[in-house]
Amino acid sequence: MTSVAFPAALGLTLLAAVAGLVLPRGPRRVTAGVLTAGGGAAAVVAGAAAMRGGDWSARLPGLLPLAGARLALDPLGGLFLAVTGAVAVCAALYGIGYTRHGGLDGRVPQTMVPVFLAAMTLVPAAASVSTFLLAWELMALASLLLVVAEHRSRDEVRAAGLWYAVMTHLGLVVILGGLAGFAAAAHSESFEGLRAAADGLPAAGRGAVFLAVFAGFASKAGIAPLHVWLPRAHPEAPSHVSALMSAAMVNLGVYGIVRVGFDLLGGGAAWWWLLVLAAGGASALYGILQAAVAGDLKRLLAYSTCENMGLVLVGVGASGLFAVSGARALSALALTAALLHIVNHAGFKTLLFLAAGSVLHGTGTRDLDALGGLRTTMPATTALFGVGALMASALPLGNGFVSEWLLLQSLIHALPSGGTLTAVTMPPAVAVVALSAGLAIATFVKAFGVGFLARPRSSAAERAREAPAPMLAGMAVAALCCVLLAISPGAVLPALARSVAVAAPGPDAVTGPVTLHLTGLAGTMSPLLIAAFLLVAVVGLLALLRVAATRRTARRRARLWDCGAGPMSARMEYTATSFAEPLQRVFDDVLAPETDLDVTPLKESAYLVNSVTYRTRVGDRIEHRLYRPVLTAAARAGEAARGLANGSVHRYVGYGFYTFTGLLIALAVIR
Amino acid sequence: MRDLFRKIRKTGRVAQDAPRAPEPVLPERARDLGGSVQIRHVDAGSCNGCEVEIASAFGPVYDAERYGARQVASPRHADALLVTGPVTRNMEMALRRTYEAVPEPKVVIALGDCARNCGVFAEAYGVVGAVGDVVPVDLEIPGCPPEPEAIVAALRGLTGR
Repeated sequence: MTSVAFPAALGLTLLAAVAGLVLPRGPRRVTAGVLTAGGGAAAVVAGAAAMRGGDWSARLPGLLPLAGARLALDPLGGLFLAVTGAVAVCAALYGIGYTRHGGLDGRVPQTMVPVFLAAMTLVPAAASVSTFLLAWELMALASLLLVVAEHRSRDEVRAAGLWYAVMTHLGLVVILGGLAGFAAAAHSESFEGLRAAADGLPAAGRGAVFLAVFAGFASKAGIAPLHVWLPRAHPEAPSHVSALMSAAMVNLGVYGIVRVGFDLLGGGAAWWWLLVLAAGGASALYGILQAAVAGDLKRLLAYSTCENMGLVLVGVGASGLFAVSGARALSALALTAALLHIVNHAGFKTLLFLAAGSVLHGTGTRDLDALGGLRTTMPATTALFGVGALMASALPLGNGFVSEWLLLQSLIHALPSGGTLTAVTMPPAVAVVALSAGLAIATFVKAFGVGFLARPRSSAAERAREAPAPMLAGMAVAALCCVLLAISPGAVLPALARSVAVAAPGPDAVTGPVTLHLTGLAGTMSPLLIAAFLLVAVVGLLALLRVAATRRTARRRARLWDCGAGPMSARMEYTATSFAEPLQRVFDDVLAPETDLDVTPLKESAYLVNSVTYRTRVGDRIEHRLYRPVLTAAARAGEAARGLANGSVHRYVGYGFYTFTGLLIALAVIR
Repeated sequence: MRDLFRKIRKTGRVAQDAPRAPEPVLPERARDLGGSVQIRHVDAGSCNGCEVEIASAFGPVYDAERYGARQVASPRHADALLVTGPVTRNMEMALRRTYEAVPEPKVVIALGDCARNCGVFAEAYGVVGAVGDVVPVDLEIPGCPPEPEAIVAALRGLTGR
């Protein structure tokens, strides 16, 4: 099955790329979109088949010079392939409607979406260092071109593209360094060879390799403090590309960590996984805090991606830590939670980014303070975003709840088994997961309540129009997947267990089709029964209220109480900024918001106020503190180096001469 | 904080002894209200003399709350409207809307001479009329301004306690 579906997926996406390149503007959008969706569907089939145990490998010696290309799919790669494919189906369907306007139906964006998808299907299927790095770089370049697709209309897009280009290539450099060093020490560049040689390497060398690849992959996954590109690039990309990046591409950073850390290096020291766990925890907290105070809908979602990837890394780190301390069952449980959260996050983040794109498409703004009142003008988008927000807020009826519950279970049960290290680490980790879950609820209540309900806060929101059918179809598919994952995670868990077994071998950590049982632990949960109970309770309560309200006969319609002062205006509503203000105040020390109050008095008297300007901005503090000084120093060094090149040819010839002579002298001394 | 508690202890009870309960003024309304009246106060254009006396009536000395009368912050929570002052042009619509916003059954109390018949502000250019000209009045408390005892007595007539 895999041997047919995987080449079919690649073939269809490449065909879509060709269609995007050669077809005229008329049929281009639909043809490329449908072919890309087909490629995504084939990738889902291939991934699912690989997860069911249909391992597949191929060697194409002539494709790449020197090394040749090696491809292989195992259950772990299959999981990421299937997730990528599913996201691509939704994004491609959505893209057919979304790219109609704004110059997005040009050759470059239409070609690059399928190329991006092809690269993302190749990454989890790569089975040698060179193939992996090539696919990785292709993925980075294709996504970079897509991020800057709208660079003509907005200046921020260019800045975002620059940040992304630099960060992704720095990441590539460290991954390249790590994997090349690993391959050199192992005398093989195929993953099989690396796996076999890993045990023979010295511990320090393995640690260095892990450190390097972790830095690179963590940057791709948007883990703080390497996340700075993500909240810039994801909002500025076209929305279907944001969905692909935020729901599929960042996952591959986690894939890299799991593949290299667990599979190729075969586990490792406890400090590796402590590092992963700490980075994940920091990212989860920082991400959700920034999301909670963000006023831009897509920026909010981008920071929420940082948070969710942080939670996934908490699971991955905990799993590695348990594996080092010998707790196999717990290790498998933590990794199951992490991988299930990847699937769940991909589902709801696709839906949310696509819905945010519909809002942008319908109103022309992403500023939550200027939205509102979309319930009447965009009912379908509102309902779909509501589903996504529920899914993302880790409450029952949402799919995020299931994976976060599993994650918490694995962290809580760590106490009796592990040593001192786990006993000290796990309580803060539990606190981090709990706090981020709580803040996530506030964040999504804000995003949904302020963005879609109440009255429109601007004329742009007033004139909103509903998204066309293809966009709604893309969102509906994502919503359907989310709901299925939420009420019956038991359907995907057996397949997921095989993916987990690649990295953390052992018995299935979670069993049972309807009620989830944790192997070796005393935890059970049934998402379906919880959902049914909640549904019955809510419907019952509503019916009861209706009956109680209709029993009294005399009813009077009164106007809305507005303090007797006439109709209330939209300016009296909560805005995103005012909703988040208490949180911002509580976490003042972490967020360090910049507030600016400017009072201009009248010319006649200093006591009479003419106008008041109030500006508040929550910047990325990590970027401000960590990156700005480096950038300033680099700029200053560049300015200083300018003095070396004053345009005189004689001077340049002199440089060449002295360098050459110096080299010869150095060689004469050394040899 | 400690000073506050000490002061509370030292001051003791300042509330006046309750006089005998007066006869209910609106017996059928008092039955509906069951001894507890939530009151929304509307200043329709008062000189604030009546407000001072209302504050006094609900203060620690006269303590109208012990008889079941309570001031609330929204007409939606209220059983009764306590209106002071002549109704000015700017407050006419607001008073009508506040009256509409009070759930049935409701009572309107006109407090002070201005509320009853415009007092010294009768025929003034900014005055629409007495409270009774704008909304139906059920109970009047005379005085310019009425003494706290009179206000408490009228409210007790409404609560029946």
